[in-house]
Amino acid sequence: MRSLFISVVFALVVTAGAAMKKEAASPPPNKDVKQKPLSLVRVNVTGQPYDYFRPWQKKAPVSKRALGAVLSKGRVLVTADLVTNQNYVELERAESGEKTAANVEVIDYEANLALLEPSEKNFLDGIAPLDIAGDTVVGDRLAAWQLEPTGALVATEGLVTTIQMTKYPVDVGQFLTYRISIPMQYRENSYTIPLVKNNKLAGLLLRYDPRSQLIDAIPAPIITHFLKEAEGENYRGFPGVGFSFFPTRDPQLRKYAGQTGKPGGVYITNVEPNMPAMKAGMQVGDIVLAVGNHEIDQNGNYVDPLYGKIDFTNLISAHSYAGDVLPFQIQREGKPMELKVTLEHRDAKDYVSPPYALDEAPKYLVLGGLIFQELSRQYLKEWGPNWQREAPQRFVYLDRFQSELFPGEHRRIVILSQVLPANNTIGYDEFSYLTVLKVNGQEIKSLNDLAAAVKQPIEGGFIKIETEEDPKQIELEAKSIDAEAPNLQENYGIPSLQRLD
Amino acid sequence: MKGVPILIAVALLVTSTSYGQQPQPPPQNGQQPNGAPPSDSPIEPRPRDVPPGGRASTPAQNVVAVPVPVAPPRPNGPIQKSLVRITATEVAPDYRAPWNAGMLGRGVGAGFVIEGNRIMTNAHVVSNSRYLTVERDGDPNKYQAKVLFVAHDCDLALITVDSPNFYKNMLALKFGGIPELESTVSAYGYPIGGERMSVTTGIVSRIDFQLYTHSSIDQHLAIQISAQINPGNSGGPVMQNAKVVGVAFQGYSGDVAQGVAYMVPTPVINRFLKDVSDGRYDGYVDLGITYGKLQNPAQRKFLGLKDDDRGVLVETVVAAGPCAKILQPGDVLLSIDNHPIASDGNVELEGERVEMPEVVERKFKRDNVKFDIWRDKQSTSGSVQLDTVPPYLMQSHKYDVRPRYVLYGGLLFQPLSLDLLEAYQPTDLRLRHFFDFYVIDQIYREHPDVIVLTNILPDPINTYLAPYRGGIVDSINGKKIHTMDELSQTLAEPADRLVIDLIGDGPPLVLDPKQVEGARERIKMRYNVVREQNLQELPTAKAPDLQTKI
Repeated sequence: MRSLFISVVFALVVTAGAAMKKEAASPPPNKDVKQKPLSLVRVNVTGQPYDYFRPWQKKAPVSKRALGAVLSKGRVLVTADLVTNQNYVELERAESGEKTAANVEVIDYEANLALLEPSEKNFLDGIAPLDIAGDTVVGDRLAAWQLEPTGALVATEGLVTTIQMTKYPVDVGQFLTYRISIPMQYRENSYTIPLVKNNKLAGLLLRYDPRSQLIDAIPAPIITHFLKEAEGENYRGFPGVGFSFFPTRDPQLRKYAGQTGKPGGVYITNVEPNMPAMKAGMQVGDIVLAVGNHEIDQNGNYVDPLYGKIDFTNLISAHSYAGDVLPFQIQREGKPMELKVTLEHRDAKDYVSPPYALDEAPKYLVLGGLIFQELSRQYLKEWGPNWQREAPQRFVYLDRFQSELFPGEHRRIVILSQVLPANNTIGYDEFSYLTVLKVNGQEIKSLNDLAAAVKQPIEGGFIKIETEEDPKQIELEAKSIDAEAPNLQENYGIPSLQRLD
Repeated sequence: MKGVPILIAVALLVTSTSYGQQPQPPPQNGQQPNGAPPSDSPIEPRPRDVPPGGRASTPAQNVVAVPVPVAPPRPNGPIQKSLVRITATEVAPDYRAPWNAGMLGRGVGAGFVIEGNRIMTNAHVVSNSRYLTVERDGDPNKYQAKVLFVAHDCDLALITVDSPNFYKNMLALKFGGIPELESTVSAYGYPIGGERMSVTTGIVSRIDFQLYTHSSIDQHLAIQISAQINPGNSGGPVMQNAKVVGVAFQGYSGDVAQGVAYMVPTPVINRFLKDVSDGRYDGYVDLGITYGKLQNPAQRKFLGLKDDDRGVLVETVVAAGPCAKILQPGDVLLSIDNHPIASDGNVELEGERVEMPEVVERKFKRDNVKFDIWRDKQSTSGSVQLDTVPPYLMQSHKYDVRPRYVLYGGLLFQPLSLDLLEAYQPTDLRLRHFFDFYVIDQIYREHPDVIVLTNILPDPINTYLAPYRGGIVDSINGKKIHTMDELSQTLAEPADRLVIDLIGDGPPLVLDPKQVEGARERIKMRYNVVREQNLQELPTAKAPDLQTKI
């Protein structure tokens, strides 16, 4: 149930250079900071997202300037947001303006973190790497580091007001977040802003609301988790278990679940097929009382030594790694049990409608002017920040309730997104946003299914497409599609009529 | 054919003031997928300049002295002898507190006398009315009136006055046909701006099918005129050559579009009068299908059709509709009542090309319609008796009925409907899906009532249940619940505990019937609940005595 609620998300400020005006009174430079060499580099990124409405092309390039935190072993930490869909990444030394190209070594879209490495190995020489400060608690003061155009450091202090679990931009699960109240001014290159405590890296800017002057930051424990995972051979991502839960505040619900003893724990409302919780034998109706050594209260919180009461999912995402075996103490119809859950990372590709698809070209197939694609949240997000209201409602519904509608299925939802007017599509040009059920009598569960099915026309040389919505059926003539293909490509500037991998 | 319920921003044309501290309904903007700018909403006809509790008065800042014009010619005769001013005191049901009588309001509209001592007006002028009075020019008396027939699907009503003196010296108006484009028409009524009759003139701008916002689901022919019509013109006659060519009924509020007003044309009026001639209004009938054009050569070839621009493709057949017996998706309709259907869906009717459903528009309940059908490359035919398609009513506004609800343990259960959505403005995706796709995905077959836990009146027995709000009831103690009646019966059955499963993967809602029983009186007292349930959409007002001469 918890996973169904839409949390209020702060406005994500992404425009670099929103406030380039110089302050009248710059804060006096901190002596301690001035003496040390800066552990920051500028990062210049040119990115080009794919155009899901014209899936054969990319959108116009966008340039961003940001800061990266220099870490040990010649690596630079930035947010994944910054380097997503990048064509070119460049590092620039703040004091000299010297530049070099950089590669994205590791990227985790869910935790919104990425590691860059300069192509010139010696480029970061002389820059002291930042250590990670993992012990931030509520009430600490953190400094947001920014650079003046001159290369001078601007440090703005803020107070950590809350430490809690929130959703990150790609909207997969929840992660630990620091909320900091800070009167920060934007500089021209303030896309990724390091937050520093005693000259150690405590967090990285996730989102900033200039009106309330509140920052949400990716906290050090998530950064540490990311860095540790990045040391391994294959980066696996943050682990999950695959269930939904609900607080057990209601005594009637506890009684119904057969709970005995003192109140506490969470009620399991859904267990996803093929995911760790189900593999370990968890069932709907179980009450999870403890994870590891941590007892869970009836609101779903455990007592963290640093933060006090906090959502127990932090024990899974921040404290554990894929492959770890985590003991879950549960109660099933009043009987205590222990389930050993082997944690796994759930890849975006393992969803029916993938929650994100970044740095990869969208699949498509153009057939006589009909454009077929696979449904994904990335596609829906083309409708802008209000996509949940503005995108085609059936698609939003299918995406939102995918685990309920297609439990355990490995499939995609193929859609007929648009129709390009052409000789083959006369009378079809008003169709859009249809869900494809069958092609030539074969069930369609991926775009590759569709590509295979269109190669086997039915009697008479027709291709028959069946859709969930009206018109329910669309027919094309196979030979006329082939004959018209060059014209279609020429007229609409489509370099290739399909991309299937 | 029912339209997709897209609410274009159209104001109903009736002035109305609310009394005292009646709560204003929240602004309605739930169903505007086309991004129409917010405006006076169709369900909120109160003009903005009216002080609460007061009468509509001329906004002083807009009054400019103008020279007195020379009296214009009066081509329509002495309209004062036919026109009446109707004042309706209405009680609109409160879907957020359905046990209450509802919100009291007053509206003013126009009407006109027609043959048979009847007064024609708009349905929305008399909807939800509890007390109706009629006034005429030059007569200080207010006459009490009663509703004879009301047609919410085409926004027309007939009312009458019992007092024998009333119709003395009144002239019954006659109806004309469809006026020519660009010809001049005059609208009469009692719009805001003054007390006495007002006349405005304009030309016929457009003749087309329009959404009738009173029900907000029906589409019929409507005529757009450039005559200014405003709140209070509703129900008034639009005249040409001393004959009624329409009844003014809706338009855009000034901040959306100006000079766009609509009248109900005479084909719709005549159909209404014919429908009620047997003493009952049956309403419009519908085929309950969707169909598409058949213009693609490959598709025509696939279906084995000739290249003769004929036929439309049947796409969805609503199981609750009359055509379910003879049509199936994939059929091609070649003709309707022997009128050939062109591949773009038009038929020729009395020399005019009109859309195929126009044939059905002109028919009545229990009339037959005959199709020539092309199925599996074979020609066949079939005939059906026309009827209404009840599931569509869920997506339309309802009037003159009490909302259905069940209150149990402080939990308020109500069936999903357009009125409910407008009252609560939920953003829940599942609710919106059930509403939008109720007919077209045939959700009504499994959920004749989509039962929503709309609200919880807080009490110690339900204090932890707030997160369940907005859920749709799936089953109780393992038994599927399809209707409000089933819900009420199941809740009344003796049980040790009640486990209510809501659709989706949330937790079950668990209640102890003994606790609920113990809390009953307390909840009723605390929240002033008069009745704990209403399962029938009974008329809110006493039905008129139809003995009167009509």
